[in-house]
Amino acid sequence: MPAELTVPRECTFDPDDWRIIARYWYPIALATEVGAAPLGVKLLDQPLVVYRTDDSRTVIANDICPHRGTPLSLGRGDARGITCAYHGFRFGAGGRCVDVPAHPQAKIPSRLHLRTYPAVERYGLIWTCLAADPDTEPDIPTHPHWDDAGFQRINCPWIDIAAFAGRQIEGFLDVAHFGFVHLKSFGNPDNPVVPDYAAAPTPDGFEVEYWSTVGNYPIGVVDRSKPGFQWLRHFRLHVPFTATLVVHFPDEGKLSIMNAASPVSARMTRMFAPICRNFDTDQPEQAVHDFNRIVFEEDRAIVEVQKPENLPLDPRLEVNVPADRSSIAYRRALRGLGLGSFFTA
Amino acid sequence: MTTNTQATSMPAVVHALTRAATDALLIELRHPDSGGRLPEARPGDHIDVRFGRHLRQYSLYSSATDGRYLICVKRERGGRGGSAALHDELRVTDIVQVSSPHNRFPPVRGTRTLLLGAGIGITPLRAMAEALWHERDRFDLWFYAPDRDSAPLLEYIATRPYADRVHLRLSTQGQSARTALPDELEHPAPDAHVYVCGPAGFMEHVRARARKAGWADEQLHQETFTLDAEASAALSEGDEFAVRVASSGETYRVPSGSSVADVLPANGVDVDLSCEQGICGACLVPVLTGIPDHRDEVLSEAERTANDRMTICCSRARTAELTLDL
Repeated sequence: MPAELTVPRECTFDPDDWRIIARYWYPIALATEVGAAPLGVKLLDQPLVVYRTDDSRTVIANDICPHRGTPLSLGRGDARGITCAYHGFRFGAGGRCVDVPAHPQAKIPSRLHLRTYPAVERYGLIWTCLAADPDTEPDIPTHPHWDDAGFQRINCPWIDIAAFAGRQIEGFLDVAHFGFVHLKSFGNPDNPVVPDYAAAPTPDGFEVEYWSTVGNYPIGVVDRSKPGFQWLRHFRLHVPFTATLVVHFPDEGKLSIMNAASPVSARMTRMFAPICRNFDTDQPEQAVHDFNRIVFEEDRAIVEVQKPENLPLDPRLEVNVPADRSSIAYRRALRGLGLGSFFTA
Repeated sequence: MTTNTQATSMPAVVHALTRAATDALLIELRHPDSGGRLPEARPGDHIDVRFGRHLRQYSLYSSATDGRYLICVKRERGGRGGSAALHDELRVTDIVQVSSPHNRFPPVRGTRTLLLGAGIGITPLRAMAEALWHERDRFDLWFYAPDRDSAPLLEYIATRPYADRVHLRLSTQGQSARTALPDELEHPAPDAHVYVCGPAGFMEHVRARARKAGWADEQLHQETFTLDAEASAALSEGDEFAVRVASSGETYRVPSGSSVADVLPANGVDVDLSCEQGICGACLVPVLTGIPDHRDEVLSEAERTANDRMTICCSRARTAELTLDL
């Protein structure tokens, strides 16, 4: 544990909950977004600045100049690092202050070095952890098939959702809403019944193999499945806010979607969706971006208006039906982390 | 709310297990007493089967006028584990709890009956075919399956006297529901009826084609398998027991067909409820004395064994009385 794990100013989470979820890894940017210029993002209410130095190393630090508290993301960057917009202090590799323009010859105080966080690039995303244990390997959830031969890898643009990450993830895991919410993308309003399924525990969450006759071809695209084709959707949830879904298409086709809900705050989520597939691999990525956008916008319209805004972890607070086995398992898994029963947002 | 249910629960002994297809098991159930007979069933009837903590509904493979029940169980991929438990754990001489037969799929006598079954969906249709043959009614049965090995009890059906009215359609030979629906389905007859049973997609496809051809909704019948309210009621069947509320010392009777969660609010004791089917855990209550009969899917094996908490929406008692910390 780093020594200085302090809850951010204006924290929208219960501080005890924050200390628990700060131990997990989250994506904060697409790898393609990060360059020499400082990029300002926020994770768990903590403003962060992200930049790449000339050795291609990614630096993630608190987005605040230690000198007089100006956001570093307001500054500029070049191959030698980023400079603060106020007094031009320069920060280079590892977040170290390398130049104070007012005193080029003076010793640089060690307290001018930035408070940094580990950065790992995986699935085309930059991941970090605010409370990483330096002695353990980064625990970034597995993306099924991402590294398999024959799979096309597609990184969709992120989507900002004005809702809590837990609600968004629960929506991703929900199997009873297809025929109501996804009418412009793939849902079938005439097929609302949810066949039985079970949630099986895994070391860091649970998985569900959901079989149904709800297809996954975009509406308007020829359904290449046979009548009665049983679609398998294999969900895996990794606490707290990452889920993957492998949709098994006819003829061994597989579409693997990671839904990494990055908790900007308790009321704002940046959803990253790296996708890979082993069919239509010669088709342009844009069609996947567009389809995915429709699907997630359909979900967003619901998730942003749900009340309460947080996720009630106590099963007595909302009503459960058998189709909610994923939701029940998810809330139980979050309770297992020690999060408050009402997960105050 | 559970009300007094007509369904009765009774023990039945597993008399025989037969491999019906590559992934289907034929289970013969008989009355536990030698010479005893299970209640008579009609073609198209189904029963609830409780095995361990699993409660499932299965169509009867025969119309069971001989006092025994035959059910055909497919191992369901990704189901809740009921069919897998039957396949993996059930042994001849085991006792299971069965309900008396229900019918949501009653046969309507007509001049002509078209039966279309896919895979394990053949089960109730086979029972109907048998009955229609005995009644000397006109019928045909189309049996859809991927291949012969996965067509349940194909060998047996081929030996029946109406085998010539059974038309096998194998998708591996290019005859699927999409490519080889019977011509008869294209020509609706006013006094004829169509029965469909199989996977949801198969049933949707057949119904859509039939409607398009002009069949009226009253002529189209289908069987679906879900745990309905009737079966949920069966979840609360069992011996009567007493429940004592620790805070007041009052004791209440919980008869078969009612749950603790039915009885306590009726007597002014507040309880928390959500799913009312033992899946969410909202109603977990500490148990001070007595041993619960856990019927939920919330508690782990270790939590069940501890016997210190129970879901009052469905779990019952192994002891005559339970004291709850309420």
